[in-house]
Amino acid sequence: MSAYTISIVSIIGINVILAVSLNMISGFCGQISLGHGAFFGAGAYAAALVMVGLANVPLALLAALLAGSALGIIVGFASLRVRSDFLAVTTIGVNFLFVGFVRKQTWLGGEMGISGIPPTGFGAPGNMVMILVLACATVAFSLYVNRSWMGFAFRAVGEDEQAATTLGIAANAYKLAAFGIGTALAGLAGGLYTFFTQFITVDAFDFIFSVMLMAMVVIGGIGSTWGVVAAAIGLTVLPEAIRFVNDYRLLVFGGMLVLVIRLAPGGLAALIRNLFVRARQA
Amino acid sequence: MGAGGPPAFCSASKDDAVYYIDLAVTGISFGCMYAMMSVGLTLVYGLLRILHVAHAAVFALGAYATVLAANATGSIALGFVAALIVTPLFGMAIYRLLYEPLLNYRPDVPMIASVGLLVLMQDAFRIVFGEQGVTFRRNAFSFRTFDIAGVTISAVQIAIVITAAIVFLGLHLFTTRTRIGVGWRATVSKPRIAASFGIDPIKVRYLNFAIGSALAAVAGGLVALLNNLVDPTIGFVVSYKALAIIVLGGLGSVRGTLVASLVLGLVEAYGTIFIGAWLDRDAIAFLALIILLMIRPQGFTGAHTA
Amino acid sequence: MLTDRITPSALGTRALLGFATLILLGVAAATPAQADIKIGFQVPLTGPAATDGKSAQIAGEMAIEDINAAGGVLGQKLQLVTYDDQAKSDQAIFTANKLIGEDGVKLVVNGSYSASGRAAAPVFQKAGVVMIAAYGVHPDITRAGDYMFRLVHLGPPQGAATALYIGKMLGLKKISTITMDNDYGQATMDGFLEAAPKYGIEVLNKYSYSLKDRQFGSIVASVKRDNPDGVYATGYFFTGGPLVAQLRAAGITVPIVGSQAFDSEKFIEIAGPAAEGTYIIDSFDRDRKDEALQKFFNGFRERAGYAPEGVAAITYSAVKLMADGIKRANSAEPDKVRDALAATKDFPLLEGSMNGFNSLHEMIMPIHVNEIKDGKFKPAGEVGDLNAFAPPEK
Repeated sequence: MSAYTISIVSIIGINVILAVSLNMISGFCGQISLGHGAFFGAGAYAAALVMVGLANVPLALLAALLAGSALGIIVGFASLRVRSDFLAVTTIGVNFLFVGFVRKQTWLGGEMGISGIPPTGFGAPGNMVMILVLACATVAFSLYVNRSWMGFAFRAVGEDEQAATTLGIAANAYKLAAFGIGTALAGLAGGLYTFFTQFITVDAFDFIFSVMLMAMVVIGGIGSTWGVVAAAIGLTVLPEAIRFVNDYRLLVFGGMLVLVIRLAPGGLAALIRNLFVRARQA
Repeated sequence: MGAGGPPAFCSASKDDAVYYIDLAVTGISFGCMYAMMSVGLTLVYGLLRILHVAHAAVFALGAYATVLAANATGSIALGFVAALIVTPLFGMAIYRLLYEPLLNYRPDVPMIASVGLLVLMQDAFRIVFGEQGVTFRRNAFSFRTFDIAGVTISAVQIAIVITAAIVFLGLHLFTTRTRIGVGWRATVSKPRIAASFGIDPIKVRYLNFAIGSALAAVAGGLVALLNNLVDPTIGFVVSYKALAIIVLGGLGSVRGTLVASLVLGLVEAYGTIFIGAWLDRDAIAFLALIILLMIRPQGFTGAHTA
Repeated sequence: MLTDRITPSALGTRALLGFATLILLGVAAATPAQADIKIGFQVPLTGPAATDGKSAQIAGEMAIEDINAAGGVLGQKLQLVTYDDQAKSDQAIFTANKLIGEDGVKLVVNGSYSASGRAAAPVFQKAGVVMIAAYGVHPDITRAGDYMFRLVHLGPPQGAATALYIGKMLGLKKISTITMDNDYGQATMDGFLEAAPKYGIEVLNKYSYSLKDRQFGSIVASVKRDNPDGVYATGYFFTGGPLVAQLRAAGITVPIVGSQAFDSEKFIEIAGPAAEGTYIIDSFDRDRKDEALQKFFNGFRERAGYAPEGVAAITYSAVKLMADGIKRANSAEPDKVRDALAATKDFPLLEGSMNGFNSLHEMIMPIHVNEIKDGKFKPAGEVGDLNAFAPPEK
């Protein structure tokens, strides 16, 4: 397997984890988060600090998970106060605050970022395997949650919070849970990203990246795990496969986001589902 | 172009006074520009409850249009005219093509679409007009300044303040004295009653977008004059500040927007020097926004709760 | 949930099927191209560095065309394999892997910002691929190993040379500094601050701004209050232009010295009459009576629609130098090219003659200074004391 293939598969894996985790928050539980990059970044920086200080891989991953989740739960509390589109604005704000704060902190590397992060010792292929394993685990977990009582509660809260409360669902607790879990996974992805690049700068976690992630979720079909996985893979590979897409990336992604919402708001998942329905009716 | 230093007999406190007034001038002119930019955003929210994030793209288009038309015709005034024609059309098109079909969905759906549009437009500006951006070819106006007792005020800053004053006064008169304006205001606060009086809500919506966009165009043109540079990122920088402003000012409230804009302008002007050491300047607006949303989700003046 | 009230339109279905087909076609159509000697080329075509990326790309292409028109190198034609790294570290690693793995490239010119060069350098070093960083200024690039070369003065030496120029040649003592907050701006300013005391410079106040800023009202007011003998600012032309315009508009008449990345005609365009009298350190001397330079100048202007700045000139020279390295090594093998490059002596860059590389493969060359007079770049001296701003050795 060439170094290029390994790196592209690694990035796909990381994006899948990010997209699926975002889908849990925004798709399952209906809490729109446009700042997912911040949790990704929190995890990446936590892992980087642990690796530079202790060079311990499991500890770094744990730190990444906890960092993402801690920031996520704080933001989760915000979701209890404000309604959906303002929550979205708050998450955008969190993203900007994260980036704006980190770039000024010299202990976090500031503008220069953190470089010289020790390798995991698994080598690039080993890292890739680790990423793939965790990506599959994330997808499995997402599917499981979807079918579980928690998933039901998430969807109830996402669709109609009032109704959910009358059913005895503690909406606030579930919202926090959604944020906590989704952001923990994003943090984890951040740790994996740190292992992959061994050099992080804060620009990789900006708002534009968060919009890309949301594009993956929307295009895949918000709420559908498989749809989101497909979109994450497709949208990561697309700029590599088609040169035009690479040069005009934001144009294409922004355009696709607009078109999908406008014409097919259910995304890929709804379209495929519809194809099956139509086929059956035919 | 202005004085070099204070006269010999002045003490340090005069320097300080001049300094603080200089900062105030910067803050106020910025605040006025933010106000004109943000009004469109608050108007759309007040009417449709949609966060029209793509308004920043309208602003950017206004800035580009002003420069390009001014360069083509040789007159800055014509540049503004061109912008005032093009941007309302763009704004109304966004409503018709993007928001109108999505009105029945929950509010974050049109908002995400709006974000997608903004990202798309920014790249489109880069592709069409170039990464380097555009500048005015002949822009003597931009560089004229006046020195008043050591305080420096540029011609553009004066223009911004005067324009803002005219705009807001005009808006006030329009919505209180003219039939269309009153009808507009009525539709925003009590849509069903207004409709029963025979006011067409669809026309009001178009008017809403047209006026908001036109104001953004003016703001864009003025920023273009101020910087003498319009690059693809110009919209982005202001977009999230506008979001913060309309929440701080109370969603849907034009007066609140004006107040919040001036406050933000002044806070930025004075705060950059101090806070700039540990927080990115742009993040300051968001910090204020988040704090406010947590304490008082209805904003300063409390119009139209979240 | 969002999906419940949705019935996708037929148009939507067709659109998505079309999209899927597009992906398949794209993947199928990705054919590798055949050519002689491949030179990898990383440039930021999108993202915040897109302006410089565009210039670098055009310059790189011009260099390849000129080399091939003159018969190529060792009887073979050169081919540029270009990738957009978005000036981002993860993309730099990614495209580096692509160049090594997919395209089998052994010689690379990195025409991007420091974040990219820094991330790509270890990857190329490990693969034994020669990389010339055209204008990435972070120290870590050459520290990655001996396959790395840098064709631009490092940030800190530029800053040190600035201190010499301001303190000794301009004779200014009280300076207010304005730093752009990214690695380039900060590294350069750090070099200045360290060397400043040597030339009797007192730094009154330090200010900073971010890459996105175009409005400097607070900084300008503060500098006005400082009342310095001179102002030194690091940044790019799209921040420097508005900054200088606003400084002058506030009535600040003392000399303003800008860093290398101010060096662009666009700077003069933006700042207008305010640009007059601005000094730019390590700016490239457009007046040199050099045929290659004039030919490049006119050719670039025709192709790009704007005059070339430092970034374009250095990228052109980087490609030319790589070709020269191949010629002198009499081989395209990276080890031999590396050795040939390390032994470079008095190579004619577009900006002047470069003395050579030091042990860390940092470029050795005097620093030229321009002053803007009558809307044009005019030579304003040279910092020739190489020891005053010597780059670090191995």
